[in-house]
Amino acid sequence: MPGVDNPQRAHVNYILNCQGCHGPEGSGSADGDVPRMKDFLGNFLNVEGGREFLIRVPGVASAPLSDTAIAELLNWTLHTQSPDQIPEDFLPYNEADVIQWRRKTLGDVAHERERLIVRMR
Amino acid sequence: MKESKNLFDRISEQVSRGLAQNTSRRGLFGLLGAGIVGMSSIPLLPVARAAGNGQPQASDLQESGDDQSCDYWRYCSIDGFLCTCCGGSVNTCPPGTEMSPITWIGTCKNPEDGKSYIVSYNDCCGKSGCGNCLCNTNEGDRPMYVPAKSNDINWCLGTQSSVYHCSTAIVVGMAFE
Repeated sequence: MPGVDNPQRAHVNYILNCQGCHGPEGSGSADGDVPRMKDFLGNFLNVEGGREFLIRVPGVASAPLSDTAIAELLNWTLHTQSPDQIPEDFLPYNEADVIQWRRKTLGDVAHERERLIVRMR
Repeated sequence: MKESKNLFDRISEQVSRGLAQNTSRRGLFGLLGAGIVGMSSIPLLPVARAAGNGQPQASDLQESGDDQSCDYWRYCSIDGFLCTCCGGSVNTCPPGTEMSPITWIGTCKNPEDGKSYIVSYNDCCGKSGCGNCLCNTNEGDRPMYVPAKSNDINWCLGTQSSVYHCSTAIVVGMAFE
């Protein structure tokens, strides 16, 4: 898995920091307003602004994990839950990406998400 | 070739006649019916849904202690009524309640093998508070301003009703050491 040094560690970090809301398979919860990542997450990589959006979303940016661990977790989640949507020229996330974007706070995450999804159409 | 065909014919004739003379069709239907009913009554335990892929299942665990006591190892980070005291189990909700798909997750050390496991405290929702076995252990609990890591929140989210009844403690994996 490109950009994932230790899949087991990435999986545990997913369970501890993401699974509670997004679910074990990333299915999310329509009733609970939790976005679905399964078979969808990779679509963000196909639109301008999408790559950094996945780092800037509050759950990722504020997770109690190092920049390296965040990069690994993003790559693992993309490859595990949404492999078919990842573009062929995708460069795995690395520590520098996370350092660059994690601290740039998203003012209105729902609005930004909507804007990117419109771009996917 | 001809002889082996005859032999085969004879064997099948004997088997068919034997079946026709010694068994009843109703008996067969009865057996099939029992099988179908029996299979559908095997419950789909929520532990399988919560556990996901590649992580150890709860059935592999060596455990000891009283799961109706706050000291039970899986409850190291719980805040609420134990479903084991409310008509449910450590992995399942009491009848008439719905398990929240959105949940608070922590880690607890199992004294039997000394290893840390990831525990999902799925709340059971849809009936008023159970009132039995209130536990508030809070290991690893964070304040409300870190909502994903706070067990003070009502985690009845994504359920038909947001009324809290009790909490389960489902082992969903092994922590990374």
